[in-house]
Amino acid sequence: MISFWTVVERALSGPICTERDFELSIFVPNLRKTVEKYGIKYDPQNPVPSDDDLADRVWQAGIEFLIETGVYCVDTERRILFSREEIEGALASGPRGRVFGEGRDARVMPRRFPEDTTLPWCSVGPTSSPLSSELHYLNLVKAHAENPLGDGITIPCLTTVDGHPIVGGSPLGIEGAIRAVLLTREGMRRAGRPGMPIVNGVTTAARAQEHIAASHFGIRQTDALEIGTIHEMKVDFDTMNKVAYSLAAGNLIFAENGVILGGLAGGPAGVAVVTAAYNPVDLLLLRGAIQHPFPTHFDLGVTSARDTLWPRSVANQAITRNSSLPVVNVGYSAAGPMTKMLFYEHCAWVIASVVSGGSVEVGASARGTALDYTSPVEPLLASEVAHAVVGMSRREANGIVRALLEKYESQLREPPIGQKYQECCDPVTGKPKPEFIELYREVRREMSDQFGIRLTSASPYI
Amino acid sequence: MSDKPIFEQLNSAIIAGDKIGLEKLVGDALKEGITPSDIIEEGMSPSMKEVGERFARYEIYLPEMMMAAEAWEGAMQILEPKLLESGGERKKAGRVVIGTVKGDIHSIGKNIVGALLKMSGFEVFDLGVDVAASAFVTKAEEVGADIIAASALMSTTIPQQKSIIEHLEARGARSKYCVLVGGGSTSQEWADSIGADGYGRTAGDAATLALKAVAQK
Repeated sequence: MISFWTVVERALSGPICTERDFELSIFVPNLRKTVEKYGIKYDPQNPVPSDDDLADRVWQAGIEFLIETGVYCVDTERRILFSREEIEGALASGPRGRVFGEGRDARVMPRRFPEDTTLPWCSVGPTSSPLSSELHYLNLVKAHAENPLGDGITIPCLTTVDGHPIVGGSPLGIEGAIRAVLLTREGMRRAGRPGMPIVNGVTTAARAQEHIAASHFGIRQTDALEIGTIHEMKVDFDTMNKVAYSLAAGNLIFAENGVILGGLAGGPAGVAVVTAAYNPVDLLLLRGAIQHPFPTHFDLGVTSARDTLWPRSVANQAITRNSSLPVVNVGYSAAGPMTKMLFYEHCAWVIASVVSGGSVEVGASARGTALDYTSPVEPLLASEVAHAVVGMSRREANGIVRALLEKYESQLREPPIGQKYQECCDPVTGKPKPEFIELYREVRREMSDQFGIRLTSASPYI
Repeated sequence: MSDKPIFEQLNSAIIAGDKIGLEKLVGDALKEGITPSDIIEEGMSPSMKEVGERFARYEIYLPEMMMAAEAWEGAMQILEPKLLESGGERKKAGRVVIGTVKGDIHSIGKNIVGALLKMSGFEVFDLGVDVAASAFVTKAEEVGADIIAASALMSTTIPQQKSIIEHLEARGARSKYCVLVGGGSTSQEWADSIGADGYGRTAGDAATLALKAVAQK
């Protein structure tokens, strides 16, 4: 595989073009051409398709699109181009199952295939959701770390430091990012899982300097730093600086690509192709140990809509059939905690991901943006479902996901907001309210009785 | 030249985002003696409205809107001087200065809002991403904007929206502009808390708010 420094050199010397020309004269026509050439068509009736040929065509389209388009560096206004040989070299030598975490909490992040019987990796946590207090932060991390199926922690965003709103790029950004790591480590220690890995370090950090500062206060080489491209197929020096630091420090990298449905990639077919195209970018440029895709709806702000589930499923199948880089999908659901809808949304995207070859990171509620609207209960059920559907056929999963969509998709625009963490759980002990536990049990029974999903008995609430 | 009526061809070129084709058609229409205002009102405005409606129905997406807007702007560069020569002036919905705040590099949401505002007849000045609060204010003063629209995705960058309002107040210019905020981590509650004039959860909301704001001005 070509070195990261060769990629940096290309960012400094590649073909010059304006951002507008990259978007409208290169990216868009190339994508339209490859989508048409490979006959990629969205099928809303089947959010989890069972078509291996479609998956492989999406993969081929993604590679061809990447070769013709490249990645745009916004700081130098140049394109970083990769040849087919370089992409194939990266795919051949890319990372396979890495170990994350330490001691008793160390786990292997598996490579999975569609309909695989290998258990998926489950990261659990508030997934970048904003929190108002350090107490909530600590208790939520502890509660998630107590999830027996949780392999790693996906941490929330702290929004204040000693009462001061955190402003990215300011000293408060540095302190906020450091404090987020320290609180997470302490929350995991209190749960008796001190070696559990952080998989999205460091969400409170906006800039590379915050990322780097926080890394010196508790991020380990067996954690993952989350580094993402810019929408779409773009990168800047700040992102590349994070990669340079992570490589020097020996950190693992979660390479994040949340392709926007309705953005430059257009509709579901384009989103699937661009998501597949990101796989080699994640190897060559972001030097990822994991690909972390989450096609997101431009208007609804969620990943649980039908037209985002289809590209997620198809891209997962395309990637996992053709690349050894493990895939971990994250989800952003519309509804808030302690609503049936949130359980349904989480279950739908988790099932679509797992049977299509992915692992999961659960999960964000209330679009991951409403202050304190997060809980550890829905992610627990979602992780149980993730384990229960291994080996399930895509055809069967498609039927379940369709049935779940019928339960919630009409409410995606105006979802129930539910209750804040401190309302649905005791803010001091962190325990869910009895009625919340009852709702969890009710939906759990529904998953079993209505859909035949046999859940494990690992839940602390059973 | 196509057999289709010229207005139909003009509208089709907008929908196809065919900038070069539209500019040629505008030239042809002017040669035929069609007035600039008829070209705009009958040959271009209906299709701009249709592009916005198709976007709202998820039939087309950002690239189609950006290309339609570019085609429109190219045609207007030809038509506006002709309009002025004939003593007319294009009626605009208003002027908007838009950007993603300092420290934030997310552009897609901002670009969608910008394109929808153009579809709604606004003149849009897009400052890009990672824009300093003072730059919003300076540009608004320079172009005589009606609206400042500030996008922020991250919880650690939304404080910059408040900073824009504080910069306006420091220059004694707060009352001159309607400040709209949006982006993933924003909310109505947040907009109210910083004294913004409006909050759009979706891009469509932002265009509706902008039209309402200029109507009330």
